[in-house]
Amino acid sequence: MADLSVNVCGVSLKNPVIPASGTFGFGREFDEIYDISCLGGVATKGLTLKPRLGNPVPRIAERSGVILNAVGLQNPGVEAFIAHDLAWLSQKTRVLANVAGSTLEDYGEICARLDGLVDFVELNISCPNVRSGGMALGIKAENVKEVTRLAKDNLKKTPLIVKLSPNVESIANNARAAEEGGADCLSLVNTFTGLAIDIERRRPILANNTGGVSGAGIKPIAVRMVYEASHAVNIPVIGMGGIACGEDAIEFMMAGAAAVQVGTQNFTDTLACPKIIEGMNAWCDRHGVKNITEIVGAATFNKPAAK
Amino acid sequence: MREVTGIVLENREIARGIYSLTFSAGEEISVRPGQFCMIGVQGFPLRRPIAICRAEGERITLCYRVNGNGTRTLAEGCKAGEKVSALLPLGNGFFVQEGEKKVAVVGGGVGIFPLISAIRAYCDEKEIYAYMGFRGRDALCLEYEMRRGKELVIATDDGSVGYHGTAVQAFMEDFDRVRPDVVLSCGPTPMLRALKSAMQGRNVPVYVSLEERMGCGIGACLVCVCDRTNGAHARVCKDGPVFEMNDVVL
Ligand SMILES: Cc1cc2nc3c(=O)[nH]c(=O)nc-3n(C[C@H](O)[C@H](O)[C@H](O)COP(=O)(O)OP(=O)(O)OC[C@H]3O[C@@H](n4cnc5c(N)ncnc54)[C@H](O)[C@@H]3O)c2cc1C
Ligand SMILES: Cc1cc2nc3c(=O)[nH]c(=O)nc-3n(C[C@H](O)[C@H](O)[C@H](O)COP(=O)(O)O)c2cc1C
Ligand code: FES
Repeated sequence: MADLSVNVCGVSLKNPVIPASGTFGFGREFDEIYDISCLGGVATKGLTLKPRLGNPVPRIAERSGVILNAVGLQNPGVEAFIAHDLAWLSQKTRVLANVAGSTLEDYGEICARLDGLVDFVELNISCPNVRSGGMALGIKAENVKEVTRLAKDNLKKTPLIVKLSPNVESIANNARAAEEGGADCLSLVNTFTGLAIDIERRRPILANNTGGVSGAGIKPIAVRMVYEASHAVNIPVIGMGGIACGEDAIEFMMAGAAAVQVGTQNFTDTLACPKIIEGMNAWCDRHGVKNITEIVGAATFNKPAAK
Repeated sequence: MREVTGIVLENREIARGIYSLTFSAGEEISVRPGQFCMIGVQGFPLRRPIAICRAEGERITLCYRVNGNGTRTLAEGCKAGEKVSALLPLGNGFFVQEGEKKVAVVGGGVGIFPLISAIRAYCDEKEIYAYMGFRGRDALCLEYEMRRGKELVIATDDGSVGYHGTAVQAFMEDFDRVRPDVVLSCGPTPMLRALKSAMQGRNVPVYVSLEERMGCGIGACLVCVCDRTNGAHARVCKDGPVFEMNDVVL
């Protein structure tokens, strides 16, 4: 039995496995299937200041090895979460409150509201934003820095995770921008923007036309981005994108992740997270790894060959 | 609500393009009529929601039409003795009140499968009048299950068997004679809309089972919503799939 516990920004997690935002609600439904206190933490559904109804349906589509979603941040609002779910979830495990805003000011306000109440705030900067003309704040490095700074100014007690969008020119630059803005931690990747067309109907499958691509098929790109981001900054990185088993999680940690999140696989198998924890433990035992932190960034990379 | 690894006992074609899959869940599963199962398909990230047509102890039977890639793979690749991953039972299911004696069941397409579970559950204590629509003779299946009720009208689009027309038309022609206390329905949206307009002002409760694409199947991801008439959203997988017809926007 290896020691799977990790420490992220001074917060101890019993293991590095956290269900990813949007795939796990606030944990109550999965807790009917297994006791979610076995998890390192839970990243909540994206919260906004006011309740949101989200996009029309269909909201999900499937392609080889991946899914596309366009839920559109349906959520009951941060006050409903605090009133009905937070106390219950906090006594189960660590809480990563995933938050989003449609204006820059929203981000500041929602962070101030959650400060001191949750274990982490995870900033979703991939959603379309009024300020940047509907473009996500997470795309341009200067916007990443600005929104991070504003969030950080409103968080006196709770560590700030900035969740990076992969739909960008340079993930390393955006990682540095978040660090300069005061982020305590990064998480990545959010979904890749994609499109699926029903060729019989000659129409997109999703009502929103485009959707966020996630699942096993994005894993090699996500691992590369986690590697680049974690090597660009001095703050911890939480890795995700297509993790389906313990070995996948180990791969992300070797690329530089201090912990991992699991999204789409929760749909394929509701017991995905406990199985991944078990799989990581078994891998450590087989390889004589006593403490999971030994493998963080443990892959040795080749030097670029001189041309 | 359980995550199980089942063992396939049988998976065979029972009508053109319609398969019946029976697996052993490895434990006794107690199922209400109209509840469903998320069935895993090897190599596909999303599981498919399929009504539980029959549940006898550990034995669960799902009937499905080959539609796209996932159901095709299930039909071709899933053999007796193999494992299937399944999450069940899900959703609220149909519920007939004590005082409701005459139950009309109106189904079309793959909507007949959840209704068969209702016929099985209520045939002893209620009078069931079933109106089941099929494209044609080729698609007809499980007639013996539908016959468990008091009366059965089979309707076909092409008139090759039974009533020539839709299940809703057949039901409405019988309505004044049967005078049902409650109506249970499942089928394509145009059929449900036709039923809704035909039932307007008749003061009989109608319960419909809805279809929507799903992610988790348990109420966590908010992928499967429908609109309530009051403007709120409901999750088809958890708050449904069965709704009072006037409660939702079709
Ligand atoms: C509660 C419920 C009960 C159902 N019961 C039955 C049943 O008993 N028998 C039966 O034949 N069918 C039933 N269906 C419909 C069945 O889920 C779809 O036909 C099936 O998911 C299609 O998958 P595919 O692999 O053939 O299609 P693909 O096109 O490969 O599917 C791609 C994705 O879209 C989803 N999808 C596509 N069409 C539908 C649809 N009509 N409804 C929901 N999701 C869809 C799939 O689940 C998958 O996630 C039910 C649906 C729901 C919501
Ligand atoms: C249905 C669905 C909803 C999601 N909602 C959110 C969200 O509200 N906020 C967020 O930051 N990420 C959201 N995500 C992205 C995931 O948290 C995760 O970053 C992504 O799915 C990649 O991981 P995976 O490949 O393991 O799924 C969502 C993903 C899915 C599939
Ligand atoms: S499918 Fe996830 S909430 Fe219904």
